[in-house]
Amino acid sequence: MVVLKEGICPGLNEDMIKSLQAADIRTVEDFVSSDTEDLAQKCSLSYKALVAVRRVLLAQHAAFPVSSADLYEELLSSTAILSTGNPSLDKLLDTGLYTGEITELTGAPGSGKTQVCFSVAVNVAYVLKQSVMFIDTNGGACANRLLQMLQAKSSNKAEQMEALERIRVFRVFDVFSLLTSLHGLRTDIQRQASAGGGSVKLVIVDSVSAVLAHTLGAKQSEGMSLMMQVAGMLKTIAKDFNIAVLVTNHAVRDGNGRFKAGLGQSWSHVPRTRVLLQPVESPGNSSRSLRSATLTKSSRQACHQVEVFDLSSSGLSEDKGNSGKRKLDDLKL
Amino acid sequence: MTENGAQLFARLKGRQSLKDIEPCIFPEDGGPSQGDVVEFHGTEGTGKTETLYHLVTQCILPAQCGGLEVEVIFIDTDYHFDMLRLVTVLEGRLSDSMEKRAEENETEEKVRSCLHRLSVVHCSSSVQLLFTLHYLENSFCCQPSLCLLVIDSISAFYWVDRSNGGESITRQEANLRKCVELLDRFRRDYGVAVFASTHAIMRNYTAASDATSECMTRSAVDFDKPYLCRAWQRIVTHRLLFSKRY
Repeated sequence: MVVLKEGICPGLNEDMIKSLQAADIRTVEDFVSSDTEDLAQKCSLSYKALVAVRRVLLAQHAAFPVSSADLYEELLSSTAILSTGNPSLDKLLDTGLYTGEITELTGAPGSGKTQVCFSVAVNVAYVLKQSVMFIDTNGGACANRLLQMLQAKSSNKAEQMEALERIRVFRVFDVFSLLTSLHGLRTDIQRQASAGGGSVKLVIVDSVSAVLAHTLGAKQSEGMSLMMQVAGMLKTIAKDFNIAVLVTNHAVRDGNGRFKAGLGQSWSHVPRTRVLLQPVESPGNSSRSLRSATLTKSSRQACHQVEVFDLSSSGLSEDKGNSGKRKLDDLKL
Repeated sequence: MTENGAQLFARLKGRQSLKDIEPCIFPEDGGPSQGDVVEFHGTEGTGKTETLYHLVTQCILPAQCGGLEVEVIFIDTDYHFDMLRLVTVLEGRLSDSMEKRAEENETEEKVRSCLHRLSVVHCSSSVQLLFTLHYLENSFCCQPSLCLLVIDSISAFYWVDRSNGGESITRQEANLRKCVELLDRFRRDYGVAVFASTHAIMRNYTAASDATSECMTRSAVDFDKPYLCRAWQRIVTHRLLFSKRY
């Protein structure tokens, strides 16, 4: 809702607003939706002035269509694919996390979601040398573990510290502080963009369900609305600033006993790509760190592909010449 | 505004019909014609957006490649329009219809010329959607080759609107209703076809068990409840239900 008031648009003066209010036109929506000719007669205002104001208001508030040829051009030059450092995950994700999209990791407790987030953060910060914003909503972020993963990659203290500095950790424990920190990120990036500084390339929210799940329930629409606002924020940040977003979500069993992502139907539309993590149970194997990753949603790859990887090495494994950040031009589309 | 004779003729002649857009989806003679509103309803991952990509491709392909060669506006409210996917679909269709030995850069050029027929808008709130539709009215008025408006999805702001409107259902639905009124006018006055997807998010607890016919899987029946405002239900002429079969 945008209230009509003086100063929002040249030509919209106090007298005009008064006569519009008399005709019960209080918001910009009311104004643009009503017939300008009728309005001119009813409020005895100049038709020409009204048309001019309407045009300016629309230009201020509408989103503009862009030719998709231009959009494609822009996309080819701006999209980056961030390698997760884990060959199995990269394979499922079609070479990594795409900027401009939300990728979701889902799984039961202990399935390794947070560990995978750590190793992705470390890989992006150390190998790709990009900044990471790590939003921790369940107190699971652990600097020691990040350092441990870095130590496995490099023995140089200065390099380790440099990489750790690229990972900014935010602790938030409710949905309002989550929204505030996302707003903060937005203003930061806008300020940096004008100053021309390097900016965040990856936002990790571990986990979204920890702050969202309990807002859903009896008074449904309010919690749902908060959830969709978080979703909207993440989506616009990803799209507008070309950032890859990685979120984790809990898993629930559906009617047939299969795992599916939590947070219900409305959230299920939000992530573009979803990977389900599960422990691998094999009697002969004493290793408890084997995990299987199943692709359950993707617009690029066939779904239900499964890859198995070892969690204990996921962040520690040597980087075997992964090309890291690759431009789209290198990819066969 | 001035126009030449050819433009005037094009405008008066009306828009091209999309009747033959996809015989696999729409029944014979039942395809969407001028001014029809088609709703694509389904749960996550059932292929609504994918189907829209195929239909958009069909529209923007040149006639010599079996397309309709018309212009399309795509309003992306879910912020998940995947340009790369659309281009993949487009390239698939182009290489099918062109000779095998077509040069690489020739395809590239063809893709670009097709993409010029598609405009994309991103909207992040229902208010913005309303303003954008008002803004687009002018395009519908003066571009006779613009035949299709796609909204993916029209239910994106449902929860936020519902919570912002307080207790009154009229206020909860106000923005969407105004958008729909406008769509109705585009449909009636300009003969534009509208394709819109809606997320299936409302469980249909009252679904009678005999409704589970063989051709419908359980989930389609569970979630086929229409929940958007009445005004929208009224203007929909075709409704497609999407479901997954395991």
